Amino acid sequence: MKKKISPVRIIIFIILLIGAITMIVPFAWMLSTSLKEANLVYTIPPQWIPQPVDWKNYVEIWTASNLLTGIKNSCIISVSVLVFCTFTSSMAAFAFSKLSFPFKNAIFVMLLTTIMVPLVVLLVPLFVIYTKIGWIDTLLPMIVPASMCNINIIFFLRQYMTGLPKELLDAAKIDGCGYFSAYWRIYLPLCKPAIVANVIMLFMITWNDYFGPLVFTHSESKQNIQVAIAMLNSHYIQQTDIPLMMAASLIAILPVLILFIICQKYFTETFVMTGIKG
Amino acid sequence: MDCMNARSKDKKGKGKSKLERREGLAGLLFVSPTIIYFIVFFLLPLVVCVYASFTNWNILSPNRIFVGTLNYEKLFMDPKFWKALKNTLFMLIPIPIYITFALLFAYACHKNILGQKVFRAIYYLPYISSIVALTLIWMWLFNSQYGLVNSFLSLFVDNPPSWLSDPFWTKWMIVIMISWKLIGFTSIYYIAALKSIPKSYYEAAQIDGAGPRQQFFKITLPLITPTTFYLLVIGMIGSLQTFVEVQMFAPDGGRGYGVGTIVFYIWQKAFSSSQMGYACAIATVFGLFILVVTVVQFTVSRKWVFEGD
Repeated sequence: MKKKISPVRIIIFIILLIGAITMIVPFAWMLSTSLKEANLVYTIPPQWIPQPVDWKNYVEIWTASNLLTGIKNSCIISVSVLVFCTFTSSMAAFAFSKLSFPFKNAIFVMLLTTIMVPLVVLLVPLFVIYTKIGWIDTLLPMIVPASMCNINIIFFLRQYMTGLPKELLDAAKIDGCGYFSAYWRIYLPLCKPAIVANVIMLFMITWNDYFGPLVFTHSESKQNIQVAIAMLNSHYIQQTDIPLMMAASLIAILPVLILFIICQKYFTETFVMTGIKG
Repeated sequence: MDCMNARSKDKKGKGKSKLERREGLAGLLFVSPTIIYFIVFFLLPLVVCVYASFTNWNILSPNRIFVGTLNYEKLFMDPKFWKALKNTLFMLIPIPIYITFALLFAYACHKNILGQKVFRAIYYLPYISSIVALTLIWMWLFNSQYGLVNSFLSLFVDNPPSWLSDPFWTKWMIVIMISWKLIGFTSIYYIAALKSIPKSYYEAAQIDGAGPRQQFFKITLPLITPTTFYLLVIGMIGSLQTFVEVQMFAPDGGRGYGVGTIVFYIWQKAFSSSQMGYACAIATVFGLFILVVTVVQFTVSRKWVFEGD
């Protein structure tokens, strides 16, 4: 069969292109608006390339909002969760895939049930529990539970580690290696691509979390970045400084975006590799 | 399986060997953070929620009085609850939309369309972006007077909708936003699923004279039903919990409570009106509702999901 460019492929390409434009227009509009002077926003028809380009929103935003505190808190939360959760979840995944221990299946099924219960069911009791132990208006409700395990990561890494040979563990045992060092020195390094993909996902989820910080914190000094930028929103849009709001949104998106661009290969290929089938 | 193995070993030799006991201990130790998480941050709050739903608990007064099923009776008479339920079900509309587009997109990528890597990166963009930032952008895009969307629509219609003040259109705006956000992410699953279909199936079909359309409907579509099923389950659980969009677009639930969803209503009841007992009753009913929906999905799935050769 000769390969030639069929008209069907061209049509598909055009459809994809239209889709891609739809995906990117809101972001382009955000960038464009963030570089406008406040009064230029209301021109009709909309102006795509701001004249003049005005960078002052990106200077003003740091004093006009709680963004800096938000970034600081989000960094503290994200780094702690990333370090601890990756450790605890991969350790649990290792145990579920390679060790036999009492009640293993029962514990695993138990974890499955947590997925089916919506977060909101736990929200009110958690709020009360946190009030009792003095965690309200601290960063702990965002850090501690998330650091102890992430069910999705456990499932994902368990799947991944099941694909690794069990002989490695036997060999390690013969060499006098304990279970922990078998995990730490042998299996964990072998999971590197899967770990990287999950770290990106986890960072994204933690950085973008809004519900938890909204409920469990109330003073400005404890807001995370999402709550900080949400405060810029006033329901009456005419009173809001829109370019400033767009500049803040862009700053909030940027860290995840950069990480995503750097690690995109890891991100998509690990998913394809592990072959999530549901 | 493993438990069975362990048990059969128990019968053969009395007690476990030292090595096995050490392995069991190590395993339990490794999953101990997970178990603690499960008990403290899942089981305990779950039990408290169900218990509290039978009390008149509020955060201001420490004494709780057991009120029986009063909260549940109140719930079924509460018009706002039914409105919230209706609005919540409305949020299921995006699921077929983004699943269809994601499949088409994945299929195109699978056929190696020019520039698919760039396309993929662009399509994932909305998913990785923070939902709060997206709602802020969305509010500006859909601003009724100066928004980009309405200035585009006004080329075709005289009176483009006022998206942010009319609950009906606010809900559609959320539908558009969720569909837009999830197409790229959902396609990852389909790309993986399409890759896992053996090429030999298509070759065999070609020999039998099946055209591309037949191949798609008779081979591709049935073989990826496990992925479709998974996406439906996850999508429903996610959609039914829509909150941030509502809280940002309609902080009071919209005119006549036309936008507020169940999760939003629970949040309002618990933290604005501080009716914690009542909020827990709604949460319990809602949790059961999601459970029933999921179980029904699994039951129905036997009829249409491909289970392997």
